[in-house]
Amino acid sequence: MTLEAIAEEFADVDDETRLELLLDYAVRLPPLPPAYHALRDAGVNMIHECQSPVFMTVEVTGGTVHLYADVPREAPTPRSFVSILVRAFDGQPAHHVLEAPDDLLYRLGLTHLLGMQRIHGLSAIYRHTLSEVARQL
Amino acid sequence: MADKAYADKSVLVSTDWVIAHMGDTANVRLIESNEDVLLYGTGHIPGAVHIDWVNDLNDQLVRDYVGHERFAILCREKGIGNDTTVVFYGDKNNWWACYAFWVFKLYGHEKCVIMNGGRTKWLAEGREITTEVPNYPAASYTARSQDRSIRAFRDEVLAHQQAGRPLVDVRSPAEYDGTLLHMPAYPQEGALRGGHIPGARNIPWSRAAREDATFKSRTELEAIYLDEQGLDPNAETVAYCRIGERSSHSWFVLTYLLGFKNVRNYDGSWTEWGNLVGVPIEK
Repeated sequence: MTLEAIAEEFADVDDETRLELLLDYAVRLPPLPPAYHALRDAGVNMIHECQSPVFMTVEVTGGTVHLYADVPREAPTPRSFVSILVRAFDGQPAHHVLEAPDDLLYRLGLTHLLGMQRIHGLSAIYRHTLSEVARQL
Repeated sequence: MADKAYADKSVLVSTDWVIAHMGDTANVRLIESNEDVLLYGTGHIPGAVHIDWVNDLNDQLVRDYVGHERFAILCREKGIGNDTTVVFYGDKNNWWACYAFWVFKLYGHEKCVIMNGGRTKWLAEGREITTEVPNYPAASYTARSQDRSIRAFRDEVLAHQQAGRPLVDVRSPAEYDGTLLHMPAYPQEGALRGGHIPGARNIPWSRAAREDATFKSRTELEAIYLDEQGLDPNAETVAYCRIGERSSHSWFVLTYLLGFKNVRNYDGSWTEWGNLVGVPIEK
């Protein structure tokens, strides 16, 4: 599913539906492949700006982006956002990922829904993902 | 030897108490308040309603709480009447539950209690949760205007500081020292200056909680707040943090568990003080 399609899914729905959509994404985060468990457990590639332990490894191979992520179920909000990024970016060409808009959280309607105080950890996840793609390209 | 009782033990209930009273929905309302807005939706205590500190309690335009009329509407919608016993619980050592408790007290709700141990303890005990959202008949509710005796504003805090009265800064030591402009995990909630209000003691809020998320005993709390930090239960005291949520936890501890006579929460906290022009700051 493209980022544009996801943004469309979040546009024009009320806040309650938007929360349900997020919860649904939180549930659907693919399990972290066992090969990455050791990295996660060693605390590598953690996004420190998030209060909950958010693990995100970004790999660019042959110009294609791969995301491997894990977020505890007790932190459904960052988990849902990570799940959106995995769905939108995993398997996509890097140059396409780097065209993603700076104001994604706003476009998804999350800035208003979560409030300023809760949005920053998500911004950090987003920045980390895009800057890792750019660095490895 | 039995531990000394909390100053007001009526404000804490156990998970067993909740089990025994959760069916009494005409008189008791469980309220889950978390930092994470989605957490309630992943499963909560059967019959509990959700109150979110951003969307339900904070005004989205003015930096303030929702106002007593909107607060009354919120209560009516959740089936909370003026006589309902509201039982708060939530994630992270009941941090946000205490914040919601404080806002309910701000609008004069009388029967407020905290479920000791919160979400963590309920889940650790393997108790039932559900994703079913309950619906209660609308209640009638009249909210009073804000009780200023538990809320401090910046000019009052400045006068308080200049009079040399006790201030408690409940943030992490690095925030207090001014090394960090924000909580380690919350980057942008900062201020233009780091440090603390001159004279404030640093007692991080989480020192009041045990590993299992319950509150420490009165004896343990007295050892911290009275013996170690020298606070006086009879002195007017102001607690603050970054936006007033962690300090509502400490406000609860000082007021109800230790029986301090006059504690106010300065919810403007460091995100106001650290941005004010010309106020004194200490590192």
